[in-house]
Amino acid sequence: MFPRKRTNLIVAALCFCIVFTSLGPAALAQKKTAPVEATPPPVNEAFKFGEVDLEVFEQSDLLDLRFERDGLVLADESANAYLRRVGLSLIPRGLELERVSWKFRALRDPQPNAFALPNGSIYVTTGLMTLIENESQLAAIIAHELTHVMRRHTYMHNRSNRKKFLTMNVMSAVGAYAPGGIVGAVITVVTTVAPFIMVATIYGYSRDLEREADLKGIDMMISAEYSPEEMVTVMKLLDKDFEGENIRLFYNDHPSLDERIKYLSSYLGARADRVTHQMELNRERAAYFRNVESVMRHDLQLAINAGRARSAVYLAQRLVDFHPDSENLFWLAESYRTLGPRAPQLTEKQLTNSAKKDASKKHEKRTLEEEERELLATPAGKENWQRHQQLAEEFYRRALNAENPVPLAHRGLGMLYEKLERGSDAAAEYEKYLELSPSANDRERIQRRIQALKEKLK
Amino acid sequence: MKARSILFALVVLFTVSGSHQVRAQFLHPKIKAKETTIRRVVVLPAKVNVVRDSMKGPEGMAAESDELSTRVAAMVAEVLATKKKVTTLPATAEGDAQQKYNVADFQTKFDDLLPKIMKKRSDVKKGRFSMGDEVLNLNLDKGADAVVFIRGEGKKLTGGKTAFTMLVGGVPAYLRLQIGIVDARSGEVLLYTDPIFPGDPTTAVDRLRKALEKGFKKLPEVTAQ
Repeated sequence: MFPRKRTNLIVAALCFCIVFTSLGPAALAQKKTAPVEATPPPVNEAFKFGEVDLEVFEQSDLLDLRFERDGLVLADESANAYLRRVGLSLIPRGLELERVSWKFRALRDPQPNAFALPNGSIYVTTGLMTLIENESQLAAIIAHELTHVMRRHTYMHNRSNRKKFLTMNVMSAVGAYAPGGIVGAVITVVTTVAPFIMVATIYGYSRDLEREADLKGIDMMISAEYSPEEMVTVMKLLDKDFEGENIRLFYNDHPSLDERIKYLSSYLGARADRVTHQMELNRERAAYFRNVESVMRHDLQLAINAGRARSAVYLAQRLVDFHPDSENLFWLAESYRTLGPRAPQLTEKQLTNSAKKDASKKHEKRTLEEEERELLATPAGKENWQRHQQLAEEFYRRALNAENPVPLAHRGLGMLYEKLERGSDAAAEYEKYLELSPSANDRERIQRRIQALKEKLK
Repeated sequence: MKARSILFALVVLFTVSGSHQVRAQFLHPKIKAKETTIRRVVVLPAKVNVVRDSMKGPEGMAAESDELSTRVAAMVAEVLATKKKVTTLPATAEGDAQQKYNVADFQTKFDDLLPKIMKKRSDVKKGRFSMGDEVLNLNLDKGADAVVFIRGEGKKLTGGKTAFTMLVGGVPAYLRLQIGIVDARSGEVLLYTDPIFPGDPTTAVDRLRKALEKGFKKLPEVTAQ
């Protein structure tokens, strides 16, 4: 799996054992492997279903239903079709597996992650789809997850876990752990339905199984003629810790960054025979962004809702770079407004393990509004707020002058001015928004704001 | 965190040994001062999760959790109606994907706020917690005064585990609910209560009702206008 998790729970440390902490050598990113003879599909032929496995299988089907019912699956036909196309291209033709029906879906979760259920359902979060840069990287993620299914890792892991009392305790604790944001919803659903699947699919498998998924995933990428070195690049992307969430805890059993780089490099080194043309990767990047632009925008809204403002600014800026004169400007403005008094990047000191733990503890206690108030009381916070509100205003204005003006930018300006205590300007912007979007979903909310502002101005 | 887990285990043990429901209720000052009255509420789908704890560890009880979630939500509505004369309005009908997302995201927002409330529950009395006016995006019935969020977790023990717990000790079967009532216009948390009771949660009916009645004890009853 491809998780990047945050937690200050000691028990959850055990779960972190499979997290992708790291990634890869830049040198490798410049290599291209020529198509090679297809390697045999990584199927675990010796596997036979037992009673225990059938229970896990049933739980997987239930999980699919729950994700759907709880509004966690992105209802975007084209995004899911795109995932399916990439996924199916990696699966050897004619491969039939008992009790596996391939499904590829985007999960509404701003935290970069991907996981596979043993029934063949592959979930890639919108956060991960937004973070990665091209189709080969998406293929790397899916290939890794496909290997978990083909090699029956969940079932094997479950069989092994049932003998380990320690792991059981971990799962129990995970059940009580509720991280914030949409990711909390995903974890809650999985924990409710299948605590056994929880540890394996979301937090990762054992060191050996993850290594196997990495290497077999590369084979599958090569067979499907994707650039295999992008497996390393995607890991590097996952290692970006915009929000200071990656906390290393006392127990880490998953392959370390160095180890992963080493084995992937040596595995790729033997197969790579020419350098990928940068233009080719750029073309692939542009095609990828075109395919998932709407998913990326959806994810930005989720990231903003979850208070992941630094990630939002980074991702929105990338979208603006790709497609400047568009709705993307609005999303960049929204991200800057949400960033508010926070620094755009965490300092080295803030990225130390102890600082992250402290920040995590504070996050548990304070609401986002309280955090903002505290920051605004500092000179640095005031300075950040001033800079970010100026940037937000500039991008809102540009969004209104874009080829297809974005009425939502008026709402954004209204909120910005309201915070700046420019009541009449705020009310005017809100009114423009409602005028241009008479059937807006948040009409009542905005009307109430206008009313409150006008009463205040009297 | 470890300390909190131990504390929680002790609370559950104390609860069981005393065979009383532990109840804590915190009211927003507006409710206490009767500036705001909760007459009509919308109960959002409850999320109550129970696990079966056996000697081999916890196992998911998805179907039972679903059934219990429905029962708890219905029971909350019943208790509010019979004891406090509060009317429960139907939740918005499931519309398009956007409406589904709105409800899902707002439920998630409550999940995000819940640990902060639980960290200092008494701050509800100071009016510290709010979910913001985004609550209006739920487009609920215009007559709704408040939205009810229900969360819960429980544990059912297998026979073997029950015997083991009696001999060696450990957390017995229980159900703990966390209920927040949020103003349908401002998003302020008007009431927070977290009833807990011992025993198999999947079969609880009267125990559940009693726990809820005690959980809402401080909520003022609606008086005829």
